[in-house]
Amino acid sequence: MNDKLTKEEVLHVAHLARIKVDDDEIEKYQVELKQLLNDVDKIKDVEGYDEERMIAPWPKDTILREDEPGEMLNPKEVLKNAPKHSGNYIEVPIVISESEGA
Amino acid sequence: MSNYIPTVGIEVHCELKTNTKIFSNSINGYGQMANALTNVVDLGYPGTLPTLNKEVLNLAIKAALILNCKIRRQMHFDRKNYFYPDNPKNYQITQAETPIGYDGYVEIEVNGKKKKIEIEEIHIEEDTCKSTHRGTKTLLDFNRAGVPLIEIVTKPCMESGEEAKLYLEKLRELLFYSDVSDCKIEEGSMRADANVSIRKEVSDSFGTKAEIKNIGSISNVKLSIDKEIERQSKLYDNGETFQPQTRRFDSKLNDTVLMRIKETGNDYRYFPEPDIPYVYITDEQIEKVKSTIPMLPDERKEKYINLGISEVNAKKLIGNRALSDYLNELLEEKINFKTASNLLLGDISAYLNKNETEITKTNLSKEKFIELTNNISDGTITSKNLKEIINTIMESEKSIEEIIKEAGIQNITDNSAITEMIRKIIDENKESVEDYKAGKDRAIKYLMGQVMKESKGTLNPSMAMDILKEELNK
Repeated sequence: MNDKLTKEEVLHVAHLARIKVDDDEIEKYQVELKQLLNDVDKIKDVEGYDEERMIAPWPKDTILREDEPGEMLNPKEVLKNAPKHSGNYIEVPIVISESEGA
Repeated sequence: MSNYIPTVGIEVHCELKTNTKIFSNSINGYGQMANALTNVVDLGYPGTLPTLNKEVLNLAIKAALILNCKIRRQMHFDRKNYFYPDNPKNYQITQAETPIGYDGYVEIEVNGKKKKIEIEEIHIEEDTCKSTHRGTKTLLDFNRAGVPLIEIVTKPCMESGEEAKLYLEKLRELLFYSDVSDCKIEEGSMRADANVSIRKEVSDSFGTKAEIKNIGSISNVKLSIDKEIERQSKLYDNGETFQPQTRRFDSKLNDTVLMRIKETGNDYRYFPEPDIPYVYITDEQIEKVKSTIPMLPDERKEKYINLGISEVNAKKLIGNRALSDYLNELLEEKINFKTASNLLLGDISAYLNKNETEITKTNLSKEKFIELTNNISDGTITSKNLKEIINTIMESEKSIEEIIKEAGIQNITDNSAITEMIRKIIDENKESVEDYKAGKDRAIKYLMGQVMKESKGTLNPSMAMDILKEELNK
C-alpha cells in the first residue's frame, strides 16, 4: 500500500474544495491525507460493517412537516447579507459554465 | 449519411404542486418579486435544519404509482456536493442511493403500435435558485431554491425524437391529470434533458453520449434529438469521434451547441444527508395516496369512445381537462354523448375562448347542459339557432326551454312542409339528381346544402337528409 497520495490527487481534492495549496504544502498533504484515509478505513474492521448501513441513530419513525406556510424573510433582510445586489436580486460575478446542479 | 441506431434516454425535472418548499415552510410560488419567498433554510444559513414536507412524499408516491413504479419502503436523502452560486450550502439534497420509485413504465403509441417506455427511477430533490446571466454579472433569485422536484429518469430505450416527444406528452398529461405538477414548461415547472448516442448495430455497445440540457418545449426536444442524431452520424461517417459532452438547444439556430465537455468520473462526493432521518413508507400510506388519483387520460378516453364519442373528440376533450372533468360528471346520464362532445368542443369552447373564462364559472349547470344536448339531438335547436342563443345560455339563469321561447325559435318540424320544400329543390336541380343516381356522392351533399339554404338553417339536418334520400330514391 502506498503511504502517500499522488501530487495530482492532492491537487484534485484541493480544487474540489476550492483551496489553493502551495508547492511545499502538497508533499505534506500527500502524507497527511493518506494517513487520514487509513484511519477512516479502520471503521471497516468493525464487526457487521457490511451489513445494513445506518445513516443516523434514529428511531424507526418518519418525521415529516405539514405542508403549511410559515414566516418568510423580508427581501431587504435577505439582501443585507449579500455583498452585492441589483434590485431585489443577489448579484455575483458572471458564472460562465452552466449550472451543474439539479 | 449511413444509417445508425439512435439511443435516447430522457430525464425530466418536475416541480411538485405543494404549498410550501421541500425542506422549509416558505411558500412554493412562481412569478413573485425576487427573493421574497425565502427563509434561512432556503438560503443555506449555517445551523439550519431541513424538515421534509409531508405533501412532497405523497405527491412523489402518487407519481410513482401512475408511472407504474415499485415504491421503496425505506429511504434516505444524500448530499450532492458542488460549488456553485445557485446553492449556497454547496450541496444539493437529493436521493442518489434510494430513489423513491424504480422499475416503472409509461405506455405510448408509436405509429399505431404500443411501446413501453421504461422508467429507471424517480427520485426526490430540491430545486436550486434561479440564475440569470446579464453581461458581466449573474443575478440570483432564491424563490426557486428549495422548491420540491421529482426527477424521472428513463432507461435508454427510445430510438427517435418522435418517441421522446410522445413520451413527454404522455408524461405531462399523467402528471397534470393526477395533480402532481402543473407541468408548465414555459415557467420551468417541467424541464427535460435528453441523452443521445448512436451505434451501428444492436449488438454494439452504446456509442459516446451527448446530453442536451434544459430544452424549452416538447417540440424542441424532438427537434434537438433529431439534430443531434444527424450531427453524430456525420461525425462517424467522416471517421471522427467525439468526447462525452453537454450541449444545449439554441432555438435561434434550431440546433444544439456545445456547453462543456463532461468531467470524467464523479466528483460530487455523494454521502447520506445526516440532517434528515430515514423515511419509511407504509402500505397504508400508499393505499391512501392511491385513493386520491382521479380518472387518468387513458381510462377517460376508453370511456368516451365506449359512449359513442369519436376518437378525435375524445383526444380533444382530454387535451382540455376542465371540459373533460365537466363531462365526467355526466357519464351516468342518458344523453347523446356524441352530440354532447360536439357541443362542448364546438360552440361552448368558442364561447369560453372568446370570453376567456372557464366552464365552471358560467351559468351552464349540468341540468341545463343535459337539456341543451337533448334539444340538439332531437332537432329542436339547430346549429344555426345555437349560435344565436349560446351567449344567453352561458350567461343567463334561464332554462333552455325559456331561452328557446324568448328567441322565438320555431323550427320546421312538420314533415309535409319539409317534403314539399325538398321536392321543389329536386325539381330545380335535375342535373344533380342525375349525378346522384349515377353514384356521385358529392351530388347529395350539394342538394342537402340547397335544402339547408332554402330553410335558412332552421331544419334538423339528419331529419332533412332522411327525407331527401327518400324522395331521391322514389
